[in-house]
Amino acid sequence: MAELISSGLVRGLGIGSTYALLAVGFVIIYRATSVVNFAQPALMILGAYFTSVFISSAGLPFAVAVVAAMLVMAAIGLATERIALRPMVGRPPFAAAMVTVGVFITLYVVAHRLIGSRVRAIRDPWGLEPVDLLGVTVAQIDLAKIVISLTAIAVVGLFLARSRLGLAMRATSLDQEVALAQGVNVGRMFGLAWAISGALAALAGALIGTVAGGFEASLALVALKALPVIIIGGLDSIKGAVIAGLFVGVAEALTRTYQPRYADWLGANFDVAVPYVIMIVVLMIRPYGLFGTREVERV
Amino acid sequence: MRSTARRTAAVLGAVALLATACAVEDDGDGETAEDGGTEEPGGDTGEIAFDVGVTEEPCPDAVNPDNGCIYLGVLSDLSEGPFAPVAVPITAGQEAFWARVNEDGGIGGFDVDIATYTRDTLYDPQQHSARYREIEPNILALAQTLGTPTTEAILSDMDADNVIGAPASWWSGWAFDDSDQGLILESGYSYCIESQVGLDWFAANVSEPATVLAVGYPGDYGGDSAAGVEHWAEANGAEYAGFVETAPNTIVGSQDAAVSAVMESGADAVVLAVGPAETGEIIGKTVVSGFGGQFLGSVPTWNPALLESAAADAILATYTNIAPWEGIDGTSAAHDAIRESLDGGNPENDGYIFGWVWSYPIKAALEAAAANGDLTREGLRSVVDGLEVDYEGALPAATFGADTNENAIRQAVINRPDEEGTLGVSTIEAEVTGETAEAYDYTSACS
Amino acid sequence: MIGTAILQRRDRVRGRPLLYTSYAADQAILNTPAKRWWTAVLMIVVLALPFLLSRDLTSLMMTVFIYAIGGIGLNLVTGYAGQVSLGHAFFMGLGAYTAAVLGGAETDRVLGFGLDMAIWLPMAGIVPALVGLAVAPLAARVRGLYLAILTLGLVFIGEHVFKEARPITGGAGVGRSPAEPVLFGMDLHGTYHAFGYILPRDAMLYFVCLLIFVVLAVAARNLARSKLGRAFSAVRDRDIAAAVMGVPLQRTKTLAFAISSFYAGIAGALLVVVIGQMTPANWDLFLSIQFLAVILIGGIATISGSIMGAAFVVLMPRLVSELAGSVPFISTAPGSGFLTVFHVQTMLFGALIVLFLVLEPRGLYGLWVRVRNYWKAWPFSY
Repeated sequence: MAELISSGLVRGLGIGSTYALLAVGFVIIYRATSVVNFAQPALMILGAYFTSVFISSAGLPFAVAVVAAMLVMAAIGLATERIALRPMVGRPPFAAAMVTVGVFITLYVVAHRLIGSRVRAIRDPWGLEPVDLLGVTVAQIDLAKIVISLTAIAVVGLFLARSRLGLAMRATSLDQEVALAQGVNVGRMFGLAWAISGALAALAGALIGTVAGGFEASLALVALKALPVIIIGGLDSIKGAVIAGLFVGVAEALTRTYQPRYADWLGANFDVAVPYVIMIVVLMIRPYGLFGTREVERV
Repeated sequence: MRSTARRTAAVLGAVALLATACAVEDDGDGETAEDGGTEEPGGDTGEIAFDVGVTEEPCPDAVNPDNGCIYLGVLSDLSEGPFAPVAVPITAGQEAFWARVNEDGGIGGFDVDIATYTRDTLYDPQQHSARYREIEPNILALAQTLGTPTTEAILSDMDADNVIGAPASWWSGWAFDDSDQGLILESGYSYCIESQVGLDWFAANVSEPATVLAVGYPGDYGGDSAAGVEHWAEANGAEYAGFVETAPNTIVGSQDAAVSAVMESGADAVVLAVGPAETGEIIGKTVVSGFGGQFLGSVPTWNPALLESAAADAILATYTNIAPWEGIDGTSAAHDAIRESLDGGNPENDGYIFGWVWSYPIKAALEAAAANGDLTREGLRSVVDGLEVDYEGALPAATFGADTNENAIRQAVINRPDEEGTLGVSTIEAEVTGETAEAYDYTSACS
Repeated sequence: MIGTAILQRRDRVRGRPLLYTSYAADQAILNTPAKRWWTAVLMIVVLALPFLLSRDLTSLMMTVFIYAIGGIGLNLVTGYAGQVSLGHAFFMGLGAYTAAVLGGAETDRVLGFGLDMAIWLPMAGIVPALVGLAVAPLAARVRGLYLAILTLGLVFIGEHVFKEARPITGGAGVGRSPAEPVLFGMDLHGTYHAFGYILPRDAMLYFVCLLIFVVLAVAARNLARSKLGRAFSAVRDRDIAAAVMGVPLQRTKTLAFAISSFYAGIAGALLVVVIGQMTPANWDLFLSIQFLAVILIGGIATISGSIMGAAFVVLMPRLVSELAGSVPFISTAPGSGFLTVFHVQTMLFGALIVLFLVLEPRGLYGLWVRVRNYWKAWPFSY
């Protein structure tokens, strides 16, 4: 039972909350521009890198370093949108998605060069320390991931729901032309979406980069796990992204713990395939994910 | 006078390149008689036949402008492939190695150039074979071909072209002609000997393990290592708790599955064959959960930055690194030369030393072929069987040849993490051999 | 194709090359004299290439043909039928392993029956096509991005299965060698004499790849202008409208997937023959993305665009590596300087994709149409 809670539920929720962060980043960009942002992995790993640099070289405390890295990545997200994506407005979404692939290739090289030949560590305050939670020993870092991620997502949610800018963003994602007619600067909304997404990716990177042995540039590709998450949740639903992220995280953690014991015939590292298996099952029942908007079909 | 001679040589060289297939030896002799005899008193280029990948012209930015040039190719992972963090220092180490060879006068009146035909193949078999075909017409041999599947992809081409090469991996298959056609000149042990020597040393110096476990990536690396662990357990009456197949964090995201498998196994000794970040995570998480066993890590499990990670304390307490040769603080003549090449600086990681030591067999082959007066590809390939390689003390002298069981290197170096060590480790015992590893019947690839 | 070409000759009006007097003539593949001429010239050039180019460029050209086959396959399902698929790499892998088991050599690690290419090549298309048929009903339920990522699921689950199916794939790490290209008993890797010439090594393989490519490209072009091809376009443009007009949606989408998978399987099997070794990790998301790049850069819903796109994706890294050498202030030695020539190469490739898609929305095909129209109207601007 203790194992189920510590290495299943809590660990799973910890990982899942970072997936949720990444997935929310995908969803925000998708809602604004109908583009899947394949550059997200590179933004994430650069975020982890900057956090690590701000802590080890500039000597900043963890929280400050994370916020600084989020600002840097928000700026990079903004610049990417302005340079590479703005000219693609009005083009087929898959061409724009391919542009983000080009951006990924370029930024990933930069990440490789910056991180170089040494494993990098984020010296977070929690390390490997355990904590007693209602009689079960769990890792502090898992709790920290859950709390920090969900707080960040809540802040973004509030921003979208309550602020004028958030209202403008939602208006833009509903109908760009109408938003334009109401005086919303649609281009600026696209930039804002990329900035928020970049900042969330940086936060996810900082949390994923706390992995005990440190990280290398190739850890970036972990961000692709957010792809099945956004489909399970429904492409345009932030609520869906959060719930699906947590769900996939727990499912993965449970698979890692129990599948080698009880279903070894599925092969080593079956947890890699689990999110996609869940995704296929969900799509068989609900073709637009759990919370996605059903497309209205007209002739 | 000199420029005309050069121009003639260049034209002849171009002709030779165009007509590589025919009348190879005459071509080489014709050129050298003209130039080498008069201007290079020390060099014996005059008697050396050569064709593809060797020119009478000096190398670009040559150390010895009077020497000819031998071009070697490098196919490595230099920008954003999965092994770039170690491949870049490996290649830098090789550059330094050949720069030293050139400063010492080159080989048989030729300098060696590896920079011109260095290509980035991203550890992708498709890129590897395309790039190989691109540089093949201009190189004599490969100074480095990184990775097992990538090298397997070009092996039949190398066989047809008579191109030999040095690998950048320690797969056991390179020791056997049926998996490398006798073309790959490997250095040091293979992963499956490594795990056996490591366990032999562990049993003799730490404690006799009752249960052993292998954790690694399936295939040429972890698979090899696990085969050695399994054999060791059989030979020493220990319980083999199995092979936990894991994958890099870039694929699986975290090593939790391996961590719970290690916890469950109750092993006394765990042999790791994973990457450095994964090593840190497995050790850190298991130790914090109260795992009582010790870890033996294969060469590539180490990275000096692990001592800055959250797992540092656990690593210092429970980790031992097995290596084919000593690290940067080593005592041999080779290590003196490595430090000299760095001018007092430090390499980014041990890759630099790997690259350096991996270069000795190709150098020995070039020297042997030059001594035979035949620096053609056929001439170079023909010296491989029975080739003696002197590693300047980094490794015992090795012999390449048919009988792997007799010739294979079965010694290792045992390192412990140490904050005082230059690259985070210090050697506690060099030239370690073990009974099980010595007795192992090494007649085919382990995985 | 030949039938329509003959028909066309009969229907042609003297001195009015662009006047068509029948529907068949208008719809013929080579419906203008310029197209006929250029096709003939191109074929001659392509046939002569192995004699003119060095071996590495010949094998790159082979890779272009193979990428074109795969690209045409993806264009059929994505460009013509509008079903975006990221699962192409999975079907290519399936084809490659089918071929390797049937036509490869048996070792103590992997299975191999050593059959002739005449058997393994068709099977390398048929097996993925059958699997495509099996997954199509699920794929037909979803659309757009949902479909793209659903098919991406095939790649991830497929990679897991490939890693575990060791007797077939050799497992992760070392992998296995591909099928032997022995066609009717003739080893295509060998060197042959023809008309007093010694054919370069792999020239036979080049010609066979070229032949397969031409056959499959013409077949796809014909398919695109058939009833089924028009059904594809109708489904792409508005699937409900198509259904209302009596196009069977489910059947059309299923067929599109099956045919596309057939092309992918053939491309995968041939690709590894050129490469020489494959591991399960080769059939990953990035291979799928490469093929999406082939059709996006080449031009959606055009066969000739797929071919141009394949040439771009295969040849560009090579061209870029030549270019990167001339960029000043970068180091050629790994491990020194901030960016080495290898970093610049990879970044340039990424930047070129961005630049190209931003500047030319209709792809290389669109660029070609613009150039052609300019010269057609020359010296007038329109």
